[in-house]
Amino acid sequence: MSKKRYRLVSPLILTVTFSLLYFPLLIIAALSVNSSKLDYKFTGLSWKWYKEIFTHNGLLEVIKTTWIIAILATILSTIIGTLFALGINSLRAKKRKRLLMLNVVPLINADIVTAVSLSVIFSFLGITFGYPTLLLAHVFFCIPFVVISVLPKLSEIDEDIYFAARDLGMSKFEAIIKVVIPHIKTGIITGALMAFTMSIDDFVISYFVQGNGVNNFSIWLYSAMGRKSFTPAAYAYNTLVTILIFAIIIFISSKNNIKRRGR
Amino acid sequence: MNKFKKINIFALGWNGLFIIVPLVLMTILSFSTTRGFSLQEIEFSLSNFSKLTESFYFIAFKNSLKYSFITTFICLLIGYPTAFILSKSPIKNKNLLLILIILPSVSNLLLRVLAWEKSFAANSILNYLGISLNLLGTDLAIIIGMVSIYLPFMILPIYSSLEKVENSVLDAAKDLGATKLFTFKKVILPLTVPGIISGIVLTLLPSATTFVIPLRLGNGKVLLIGNIIEQSFKKTFNFNMGSLISLILMILILSFMVLIFKYDREGETL
Repeated sequence: MSKKRYRLVSPLILTVTFSLLYFPLLIIAALSVNSSKLDYKFTGLSWKWYKEIFTHNGLLEVIKTTWIIAILATILSTIIGTLFALGINSLRAKKRKRLLMLNVVPLINADIVTAVSLSVIFSFLGITFGYPTLLLAHVFFCIPFVVISVLPKLSEIDEDIYFAARDLGMSKFEAIIKVVIPHIKTGIITGALMAFTMSIDDFVISYFVQGNGVNNFSIWLYSAMGRKSFTPAAYAYNTLVTILIFAIIIFISSKNNIKRRGR
Repeated sequence: MNKFKKINIFALGWNGLFIIVPLVLMTILSFSTTRGFSLQEIEFSLSNFSKLTESFYFIAFKNSLKYSFITTFICLLIGYPTAFILSKSPIKNKNLLLILIILPSVSNLLLRVLAWEKSFAANSILNYLGISLNLLGTDLAIIIGMVSIYLPFMILPIYSSLEKVENSVLDAAKDLGATKLFTFKKVILPLTVPGIISGIVLTLLPSATTFVIPLRLGNGKVLLIGNIIEQSFKKTFNFNMGSLISLILMILILSFMVLIFKYDREGETL
């Protein structure tokens, strides 16, 4: 392709891509500040849906559940995922590849198949559906995100630093906390962020393992869509969360960038 | 770090319990017609398998294939050039570009589908711009929705494989007299095959198994495999049929995975 044609075509492709990606976000943002409850009528700007997040019956409850599950699942999956990555990293060749493959099954597997598997095993084990199943399921599907973010950082570091720390009298635990963890910190943070993002937005898996009236935001939304119980406050809440996570990502990436330049 | 090998026993146990055991249970459920999860009074039969030939299931499989293939093809068509342009962009902070691609996925998937649904309706806020799309229930609506949601999964792996192509390789091609098009065909494209394969799998799978998108954008008229699984677990409580279909999907997916791992080195999948 000639340079001239490339210059003509590339903005066109980027426009198509970014409009497809961002159009729904614009609509959501527009409807979140629309004073009418009717989504096809724009009657003026209003912040009332942002206020309604805190007063709507039901919405606040599911938001609370969503955040409790997301925070707990992020903490647990980050710890377990980092340990799994340490384990996998200690293996070589075929064994390493096999265990890694098993670990990332939930990542590649279709959500609905993971959802069915989990709901079958939970029923079989007799675990109470509700908070326990939601949390277990979220920890389960978040772990692979931590593993794939931590593992590349682990393979970068020199094995000897762990043994050096041990030789110098550190306990196993100390050597991990004070020597290994600082080296893989960026991987852990990326993994935790991915886990949190996945958990807070999950619908399919939560929907299959939900029970006893414990719902997260997505499940509530699914049952409210197109019904009277729906409120535009959902658009408002989602806009806030999107902005928040965006800010966190920008913050972390700019911090990493400064560090890289400093080196 | 051999000390960490013990962790693998726990990792194996955890994954065994939540991946392998459910597979076994789903296999048992597929071969039985007993309702519920009790394994004590189970009766084995092949009736679930013979039901698979009913046109209802056949249409769902056909629809899943149709929509997911079209979606994946369009995603590749838009996604590869996008990844290419981004990787060649002169901007220093490339992370920012990646964030711009990932950001829409942070917004709730159901709400994004709902936003498309509201926009596709004959009466929408787009009327104020003089546009009335009136696309709800059409193939086009479903495809646009799917492409919009799964496009990042195509762009990211291709972008990361493009970033791995060393400049020295491109310089060598140039020094040896290759034209730009020739370099792309013979050097860049083959080197990015792993990214393309990851992208295809990561787009194909979710688009073939989604149940929200066809339900909302297809006006409930279009059934995909996902819709059938959802119905059997959530509406008709026929866990046996649901398990059988999930199992078939799982087998297909695991073969895909083996394919990825054959081409893909560690960590390149995402």
